[in-house]
Amino acid sequence: MKIEVSRRKFLQGSVALTIFGGSTLSSMNLLGDHDLNRKELLNKKVPTLCEMCVNKCAAIAHIQEGIVKKLDPNPRFPKSRNMLCPRGVAGIHALYDPDRLKYPLVRVGKRGAGKFKRVTWDEAYHAILHGTKEFKGLKQILEEERDNRSTIGYCAGEGMAEHTFKSFMANKLGSTNFVNHASICLQTTVSAHALTIGAYGQADLTNANYVIMAGANRAEAIVTPDTMDIFKRTRGRGTTLIVIDPRYTNTAALADEWLGIKVGTDLALVLALTYIVIKEGLYNKKFVAQNVNGFDAYREHIISNHYTPEWAEGITGIRAEKIVKIARDFMAASPRAIYYQGRRTTWGFQDFQLRRATAIFTALGAGIDVKGGIVFGKKLTLASHTVNTPIYANALGRIDQDVAAIVGANGSWIGWRNKIIESKSPYPIRAMFTYKQNPMLSVPNVAKTKKLFEMMDLVVTIDTMPSDTVIMSDVILPECTYLEREDPIKSFGGVEPSIALRQKVIDPLYESRPVFEILKGLSHKLSRPLWEITQKYDEDVIDEIKERGESTVYREDGFDLTDAFSHSQEQINQECFTKEYGAEAYSKLREGGVYYPNMESYFKQISSNEYEYYPDDKRYYSVLKEKPKSEIYSGDCVDEKELASMEGKVATKSGKVECNLAFLTKKGVDAMPTWREELYRDTPKGKFRFITGRHAQFTQNATTNNAMLLDLVRENYVWINKRQADELMIAHGDLVEITSPTGSVTIKAYPTNKIIEDVVFYVHGFGATSDALTLGYRNGASDNMIIADDIERVFGSAVMHETNIEIKKV
Amino acid sequence: MNFAMALDYQSCINCKACEIACKEENGVQLGADKQRIWVGQRESSIFGNPFVNYYPSQCNHCQDAPCVDVCPTGASYFAEGGIVMADKDKCILCKGCMEACPYDARFVDDKFVAVDKCTFCYDTRISQGETTTACQATCPTKVRLFGDLDDEEGELVKLLKRRKFFVLKEAEGTVPKLFYLFPENDTHFAENSIAHDTTIHTWESFKPLIEKAKQKRESQWISI
Repeated sequence: MKIEVSRRKFLQGSVALTIFGGSTLSSMNLLGDHDLNRKELLNKKVPTLCEMCVNKCAAIAHIQEGIVKKLDPNPRFPKSRNMLCPRGVAGIHALYDPDRLKYPLVRVGKRGAGKFKRVTWDEAYHAILHGTKEFKGLKQILEEERDNRSTIGYCAGEGMAEHTFKSFMANKLGSTNFVNHASICLQTTVSAHALTIGAYGQADLTNANYVIMAGANRAEAIVTPDTMDIFKRTRGRGTTLIVIDPRYTNTAALADEWLGIKVGTDLALVLALTYIVIKEGLYNKKFVAQNVNGFDAYREHIISNHYTPEWAEGITGIRAEKIVKIARDFMAASPRAIYYQGRRTTWGFQDFQLRRATAIFTALGAGIDVKGGIVFGKKLTLASHTVNTPIYANALGRIDQDVAAIVGANGSWIGWRNKIIESKSPYPIRAMFTYKQNPMLSVPNVAKTKKLFEMMDLVVTIDTMPSDTVIMSDVILPECTYLEREDPIKSFGGVEPSIALRQKVIDPLYESRPVFEILKGLSHKLSRPLWEITQKYDEDVIDEIKERGESTVYREDGFDLTDAFSHSQEQINQECFTKEYGAEAYSKLREGGVYYPNMESYFKQISSNEYEYYPDDKRYYSVLKEKPKSEIYSGDCVDEKELASMEGKVATKSGKVECNLAFLTKKGVDAMPTWREELYRDTPKGKFRFITGRHAQFTQNATTNNAMLLDLVRENYVWINKRQADELMIAHGDLVEITSPTGSVTIKAYPTNKIIEDVVFYVHGFGATSDALTLGYRNGASDNMIIADDIERVFGSAVMHETNIEIKKV
Repeated sequence: MNFAMALDYQSCINCKACEIACKEENGVQLGADKQRIWVGQRESSIFGNPFVNYYPSQCNHCQDAPCVDVCPTGASYFAEGGIVMADKDKCILCKGCMEACPYDARFVDDKFVAVDKCTFCYDTRISQGETTTACQATCPTKVRLFGDLDDEEGELVKLLKRRKFFVLKEAEGTVPKLFYLFPENDTHFAENSIAHDTTIHTWESFKPLIEKAKQKRESQWISI
């Protein structure tokens, strides 16, 4: 992706560089609808990509009489193999949910009271620009803030169109203050892996022989293809799966061994595993010599700090001999041995170092860029577009840069929010634009998030459902669901790379629109009036206009917000793809939903359940190493440890795995993973540690009103250790009150042996308070009502497992 | 043609994609107790160590099906391939079949005021030439394999020749056709997931039961 910057200086802070808009296209009718008669139009099968969670699995929509009747898996996609999970199949109920946002709405009552008036799209855009008697508009706000565009805050949930929104807000509207799910989800693990082994990578669970999953729960928090790959191979069928978790999850139920670990102590476990591997010399010495930086310092660090299994036993509750055995077994299975990277890793204060330690641990067995290890794979190229990006001289840098050591373009949700509500922001954030995110349920400390929205002069949300956040809005812009729109084409990298397309299955229902069209309409409304403000306050612009004239600067320097939308999403996708692969391949992509070079000869059905996407020798397991020399690689006789130890440059700055990152010290972060007692929060007697998680039938809080899924799980229950529940006289189904310093909830109890003592758990996503959700309203409890809004100090990520709570029977 | 299904139940992650796919495919009534298929769950602990087993299940399409025998109106019948069907137009909701079924695989569909049950997706898929059921097709770990017991060269029989298996409630004598594949490489799991009196079958030991039951009932199979 490229960005064309037409003026002299960059914005302070970071700017998202994703692009749309662009160059000319042929006038070919993309959908070819004119060729179809009415019957074919009403009865057809359309391949698309699911958006019920973040995985983007391939589906085939069956349409009868113009109605989507069934979603089946599309077997052509390597990432999702040949499956569709319960949420994917239940996507129809997202489309036909009677509670959907159907028309643009403008608030008429008190903010948060849920009183809205149906308006036209133009009236909604007008309200955003000019406000109403209830709230201020962008024009007044930017006038008062003298064109500091960064006074407009915005957030987005993960999705294929997230960048469409983000790019408009950052690159055209010009604000730096973006927050997204990263800091409440996977920031620590993604960044730790990037800094340590060059990238997050992909765990090759089809070929790994030994896998440690700690906290990750792939049987319930489904990630494709990981979930499908591992659970066919556990229990003597190829891989040994060790699950380390305070909870006996479904993943644990399918594992070879489950070890209940004390919350917040995983780092001690990994350091002790590392201790054994170093002490006993079990690591791949050749790999370490050729590919690892700072190993000597790390070895010295691990040994001199006495990170022994006995030390770790006292902290983690896992027996020392068990730790020794796992370390030995792991290295014996290496390089096909993975300490799984995990996904939602916002657990505790030491999370970044924990992920660094696991990445190094996998690397000590050479399980990097090798079959059965953490692999990087290949990504198929798509042509890029440029957007003509204006620079606003008065737009200031993001407000949360000092809340943690490294705050990136995705921000620290909690740190950012708290700065605003505690009036510690260097300048005011006055408007909030929200796309496909529900911070009222997804960010720890709901009361504070509510306060954030209450403080705003203008709140605009783009969503499909009347979530708790939507209820806090001034202007609601109804997006259509994923089945009613085409999203930006996407290349899925990996061992078996491919390109897949989310195509529109039916036309948008009601007056809903794709976010692309929503922003296009908004850009037409805002462009000229906001340009007038810029002309008044932006000295660079004033100078430029003197030299070149108003209309030239407006047009050439990107201040015309509408130029980003001069082509449709379908046209942009066609252009991006055909530039690389040609028109014939493009029609195949649209027909089958998926494309990769040689697909016609590679893709085949093996049995009624299995497909092959690439022949094994064409898969991209090792992409960084040179071709192996004949003495170690000859036909069937392969020394895998030897092969794995070959030199290959990972994507870190030095090209090597980094044990010792000296630059972190300057930022107050340990250069090497170090157990910090002061960052460990104990659970006092009589209290419990709260942890949260996911399950397979719900996606965060986005599916809370889905009629089909609610059949499976009506509400959440709090897990409590059976023995302790007995002591507290709490029986199954009893209503209990859970109180933390942040808030309190009532929820039904589930006493079970599947959780260790002193810990309670309930699943995330329930407890919506929006009464516009007929089915989802007040089912169970919201975790973020009670989770404290502390942040870890490296990225400002949430720490969702550091809250101690009290529990009592109601 | 003799339709049946094998289940590699130790791969089941209890995600319930099959339950949803079944409901969507067949327009099954909403409601947690309105299920043509389900994932059975057994949860216990040994010396304080928890374990959980999952048994995805549905109608066993018994070859010697008691539900067909008790039906006073002929609403319960054998269709092509021995699929046990319930004709909603003929059902008078006496619920005799629900009593007779050893597997609790039938329920009342309040929309049609009639008994509903698994059809192996006969009307929506199999009769249209497809070879998988909706539950099989959608499953992330591919627990199920639908097939034809008469086809010795087919995938299903080949699998049953390769793997040992057991059926649920064999003592009922109904000759069920859901074959649970015995976990071969993990005796600990196998012991935890199978009752003491469960008979572990091979294709050789079970085939005669199938043939005998088919002989008895095949004349009742109705082509639809």
